[in-house]
Amino acid sequence: MPEELAIRIEDLSIKYKINIDTKKTLKNAVMRASKGEKVRTRIVEAVKHLTLDVPHGSVLGIVGANGAGKSTLMRAIAGILPPTEGQITVNGKISTLLALGVGFNPALSGRDNIILGGLASGMTRAEIEEKTEEIADFAALPDGFIDMPVRTYSSGMYGRVAFSVAVNMTPDILLLDEALSAGDASFKEKSFNRMRELCAEARTIVIVSHALQTVNDLCDSAIWMHKGNMLAKGKPEAIVDQYLKFLDVGTLPSNLEDM
Amino acid sequence: MANPKTNFAPAIQVFKPHRASLPPLIPYLKEFWRRRAFAIELSRFADKAEYLDSKLGKVWLVMNPLLLAFVYFLLVTVIRGGSTEKTGLSTLAHILIGLFTFYFASNSINGGALSITAGGRLILNQAFPRALLPLSSSISAFWQFLPTLPVYIFVVLIGKLFFPHTQIPGLRLSYLWAPFILLCVGITGYGMGLLFATMNVYFRDTNKLLSYITRIWLYSSPVLWRPEILHGWHKIFLYINPLGPSLAATSDVWIEGRTPSLGMLVGSVVWALLAVLIGGYFFISRERDFAVRI
Repeated sequence: MPEELAIRIEDLSIKYKINIDTKKTLKNAVMRASKGEKVRTRIVEAVKHLTLDVPHGSVLGIVGANGAGKSTLMRAIAGILPPTEGQITVNGKISTLLALGVGFNPALSGRDNIILGGLASGMTRAEIEEKTEEIADFAALPDGFIDMPVRTYSSGMYGRVAFSVAVNMTPDILLLDEALSAGDASFKEKSFNRMRELCAEARTIVIVSHALQTVNDLCDSAIWMHKGNMLAKGKPEAIVDQYLKFLDVGTLPSNLEDM
Repeated sequence: MANPKTNFAPAIQVFKPHRASLPPLIPYLKEFWRRRAFAIELSRFADKAEYLDSKLGKVWLVMNPLLLAFVYFLLVTVIRGGSTEKTGLSTLAHILIGLFTFYFASNSINGGALSITAGGRLILNQAFPRALLPLSSSISAFWQFLPTLPVYIFVVLIGKLFFPHTQIPGLRLSYLWAPFILLCVGITGYGMGLLFATMNVYFRDTNKLLSYITRIWLYSSPVLWRPEILHGWHKIFLYINPLGPSLAATSDVWIEGRTPSLGMLVGSVVWALLAVLIGGYFFISRERDFAVRI
């Protein structure tokens, strides 16, 4: 893979089988087998023959309707979902925020959850302890909340902590799936600044967002996905325009609204 | 490449198709070993979260097997029609240490079985060797087991005061075998935890089935009965039970005060290896499928 690339995706297809009728239990499996029935499954083709290069230090936005395969693509880049065909090469340490509040234990304090999150992403105990204060400061929760159980948090506070963990891991590649909707205007400003800092350090960011203004503001390129296919690739403004035209709603303010 | 200090993962990772076959094992095991702190801390935090509000919670961890041991002791004694001074205490001690050891394995298996389905969101968000989650359950099971040892020693010491003619030995060199046998029990528990964790992803009622399996398994293990009661070809029942050899060896060490027989030691090691190899194969070969199925 060329040096300047952070992510190279070659002819990637991801299919998986979903079970559509019964619950997945041993009891049902035995019952079905005794009646000679088969499990009704459906093959979902989440990503179809996608080829894409993402250079270091760039911010890529991914737009598309629900079910376009955006989240599946992100999980594949993170190494969570295996490709069905093709391959993905990733150069650098990945930090992910693919679903809000992931891995958070609601009974533990925000601080404990930060430590756990850091360890899960592969840091050593010493490394994450060194960073905990910085992450807690970044999240800037109101008085003392950081040492209270996460179950007492509002969803905004929850999102702030999760986001702070993801962006402060000094990742080479940061994958954010709908993570920017967390927090208020001032936190959003801070998040944007932090992401611009990361880019300035030649780190790479991939953002999935329905907040199209965010894509316009932050990204230097964008792709539009639809039903597993990459329909277009280019400058974010152009892609967002095309996407909006496709949605046949024009550039209504509601689609440019971030929150 | 930015900041080499934070380069935790291998610099270049390639993700290729692979289904129901093993990923490259050496990088997997390296990554597994590198992130062992995560499994240790996860078990520590899980304990912390569970007993944050109840100081009595930890007491119950010891009380539960202890009370159960007394119940079984009564049961065994009644069935046998009473006991003599000589055998009474050793029967109790045998049930205690056997039950504590059995619980170590079964807690590890039960916790491990649930670890993947319960860790769903963590699995959806981050790539790491999934085998760390059942490992964390096994570590928790070990920390739960540890305080039961002083309880056992305390019961035996008190018992020896009242029944000085008991056969239970004092300090013996054979006790040095205990850590080795525990290691075998721990590895067997982890391996079977891996197996049931995989099953539980595909069949969500596996853990219900597991509670019956555990019960039958307990009755067919040398916990409520002495391994010596098996003679001739019946001894096969000890060897076909994954915990049979190690529980018999436990009894040898703690109750008989002797070095376990070679057969039991080899049996313990073979079962530990089989469990971790078979469980590990099932688990690792399917773990990249977990994110889709959760």
